[in-house]
Formats: sequence, C-alpha cells, structure tokens
Amino acid sequence: MYLYQLSIEDWWKDLKDTFVLNFIADDRYMLLVKGLGNTFLVTLGATFLGIILGVLVALVRSTYDKNISDMRPGFGKGFLIVLNKIASAYLTVIRGTPMLVQLMIAYFVIFVSIAQHKTIVAIIAFGINSGAYVAEIIRSGIMSIDPGQFEAGRSLGFNYAQTMLYIIIPQALKNVLPALANEFIVLIKETSVSCYIGLHDLTKGGEIIRSRTYTAFMPLLAVAIIYLVIVMFFTKLVGILERRLRNSER
Amino acid sequence: MSADHLISVKDLKKYYNGGAIKALDGVSIDIDKGEVVVIIGPSGSGKSTLLRSLNLLEIPTSGTITFEGTDITSKGNDINKFRQKMGMVFQHFNLFPHLTILNNMTLAPRKLKHESHEESEKFARELLNKVALGDRADAYPSQLSGGQKQRIAIVRALAMRPDVLLFDEPTSALDPEMVGEVLDVMKDLAREGMTMVVVTHEMGFAREVGDRIIFMDEGRIVVEGTPAEIFGQTDNERLKTFLAKVL
Repeated sequence: MYLYQLSIEDWWKDLKDTFVLNFIADDRYMLLVKGLGNTFLVTLGATFLGIILGVLVALVRSTYDKNISDMRPGFGKGFLIVLNKIASAYLTVIRGTPMLVQLMIAYFVIFVSIAQHKTIVAIIAFGINSGAYVAEIIRSGIMSIDPGQFEAGRSLGFNYAQTMLYIIIPQALKNVLPALANEFIVLIKETSVSCYIGLHDLTKGGEIIRSRTYTAFMPLLAVAIIYLVIVMFFTKLVGILERRLRNSER
Repeated sequence: MSADHLISVKDLKKYYNGGAIKALDGVSIDIDKGEVVVIIGPSGSGKSTLLRSLNLLEIPTSGTITFEGTDITSKGNDINKFRQKMGMVFQHFNLFPHLTILNNMTLAPRKLKHESHEESEKFARELLNKVALGDRADAYPSQLSGGQKQRIAIVRALAMRPDVLLFDEPTSALDPEMVGEVLDVMKDLAREGMTMVVVTHEMGFAREVGDRIIFMDEGRIVVEGTPAEIFGQTDNERLKTFLAKVL
C-alpha cells in the first residue's frame, strides 16, 4: 500500500519534471509557438495561392465543358483546347502523386535556388497542391449555377468574362464556401509534412524538443492537442458559416 | 429596304443534329419601331427559338438578322453591343440572387455604359416606382413573389434603355393570380410606344395589345396578321386547331 502511494507521487513528480523539462526549461515552448506561426503562415499562403490557381483552372475547365461543342474552329478554340489540356494534366499529376513527394521535388529539385526560404517553397508547393482540389470544388460550384443566370448576363450585353466575373463566380464561390473552408482545415494538418524539408512548423517544433530532451510523449502529445484544438475551432466556425449562408438564402 | 425596319429577319434556319431537327425552317419577319409583335403557337413550334435568335442567345444555322441596319449575324460584329439595346425578359425571371434589387438593375448600366452610381440609381428608382416596387429597392430577389420578380426583371432590362424588349413566355412560370400584374406592366410599356416581341400563351394579351400576331408551327410562320384577322374568321386549319385548344 505504501509502495503504491509512493509510486503515484513519483509518477506525478515525474510528470511535472518532464513538463518543465520539455516546455519551461530554456523557454522550449517558444519552439512550438514559432512552429505554430509558420504552420499558419504556410497554410494561409497556400490557401490564397490555391484559390487563385483553383479559380483559373476551374474557369478553363468549365468554359471548355460548356462551350467547346458550339465553338467555330479557329484560334480561340485551339487556344482553349490547349489550356484545357494543361489544366487536365495539372489536375491528374497533382492529385495522382503524394503531397510529400511533391514537396520534396519542389524543395530538392525545382526551387533549389531559393532553398534557404523554406517557408516560400512550402507555400508554393502546398498552394499548387491545394489549387488542384480547390479547382474541382469551384468547378462544381460554377456548374451548379442555373444556365439562366448566364443567359441573363449575356442578354444585358455582358461578354463571357464579365458574366463570369460579376454574376457566376460570386454565386459559385458563395455556394462552395463551406467546402473551401474544409479544404483550409485539411491543409492545416497537411502542412505537418513540411518538417521533411526542415521547415520549422508546429510538428517540427515538437520534434526539436524531442531531440533535445529525449522524451517523445509530452512534445508530440502537445503538438497533437494543438492541431486538434485549431481544427475543432475552425470546424465550428465552418458550421456557423454554413448555417448563416443557408439562412441568407431564405 | 431593310434599314427601315428595326429588326429584319431573313430566311432564318436553326437545325440540330445536322438537320435532323429543324427548330426554325426558314423564318422571315420584319419588326418596326413601336410595334408589339406577339408570337403564338404550340409547344415545340420554334417560337422561343426564334425569339432567342433575335439577340443570338441561339446561334442560327443560316439566315440573317438585321438590327438597326446592321447584320448582327455576320462574324465581325460585336454582339454584346447590340444586346445592350435588346432587353430580354425570361420565363424564369433570372434575377441575380446575390445582388439587391437595386444592384440587379444598376449592374449593367454601370459596368457597360459607365453610368455613375447616382445616375444609374436615380433611373432605377424611377423605374421601380413605375412598377410600384419603389420600397423594395434594397430587398433580395428571394424575398419577392413571382409577380414582383418578373416586374423587376422587366425594369432591369429597361434600365439599359433598350430599343426593343424581347419577352420569352413572361407569365408561364407565374401563379395565376400574379399574371395580371405583369401583363399590366407590359400593357403600359406598349402604350408608351416600346417595341416589343412577345412569346406568350396569353391569348387575351395577344388580342388586346398585339399590333401583329405571328402563328408558328413546325419551325415556320404559318399565319401572320392583325389580332382581328387571327382571332376572327380564319380558314387556316392548323391555326383553327390551335385556337380551339387554347381559347
């Protein structure tokens, strides 16, 4: 009985010591804070880049799908066919290979010249990756808009691009906003692989602590909890967003 | 001379599936300024296709459409410029749900005719008052009834100050009690001298407001005449059968 109580006390003391060792000593928690900052930086940058790329690719793909059969042969049609081929190849390659492989190719092969700017390389790699998924989300949004909207725009005298810009895209984006927000949440977790290129993100912050203190449990658990809290927070936010969007339709 | 007519359509054909389906099979009409032309006919007769061809929402297979002296079907012409002068009202309204009523009306004048905010808004409010919807300027389309939506669709087209208005079955998607308010707006417009081409099943409207009725069947114009000629004694069998069904 005595032994047992002692061991609980020991265990508690041990826990406290490990905690202090991993987070308090040498201000090691700052490694996590810095990592979290970079995780957000990469996620936000990649989301921004991904949406721009995604909208462009979605425009090419949906323009092709809607119009190619009605177009007269000529430069415009040829140009659209080429653009669509490029867009399709991009989607196939990006969605058909692992993110980690893409990241390493970006870091060790393509952007060797700017390899010291790991954050920028990661933003570009994750942005290009995310763009492929965002493109398909936005394309489904564009395709879901009633063709009558398009005709109404054209009948007022707007050209194709203006109709897309003022009438179709705003409605499409609003419809797919929850799906885009989910893509953002997925991206937060996905950026954890960027510690493979040595970027000091949240996961890497935990890894650095582990390598210095030779304890794995505390730093990795802390990293997991931080990811979980962030994801739960944004999931809640998306839920609220979805409800408000649904109400504004009425 | 075709230049005397506002719109002049010559031998218009629209084929689908390489000629297997002839939606329009050689249609010619002239429409003059201030005229109200009503197109009637059974479903599938090509009347909507003809109307939608006038502003090239449907690209005709062959034939020409001359609008204010210019052949708009020839390749070099910018159709967007002509569409600004040809307002269109759709069966399903097609208001922009993400914009307020006011912005629905001012978007095109501001972006395409570079009118200022004040200018376009002033005119939009005038038009809204005309259709008794002045108090709904800041509402969204989803907050309006069908009849109100269609009246907004009409004034949205009018906000571009078009030379002609095209109506594609404007009352077909409305509840019966709302048909009257839309037809009243159209009657007012006709009285003010607006040129209108109307595809409709409302025979009462056709008889009362139409200057000229065009009866179409199987992609052709079968009979053309004044309301008195069409609804009076006609010896055309197809028109007789059609009228017997709808009257």
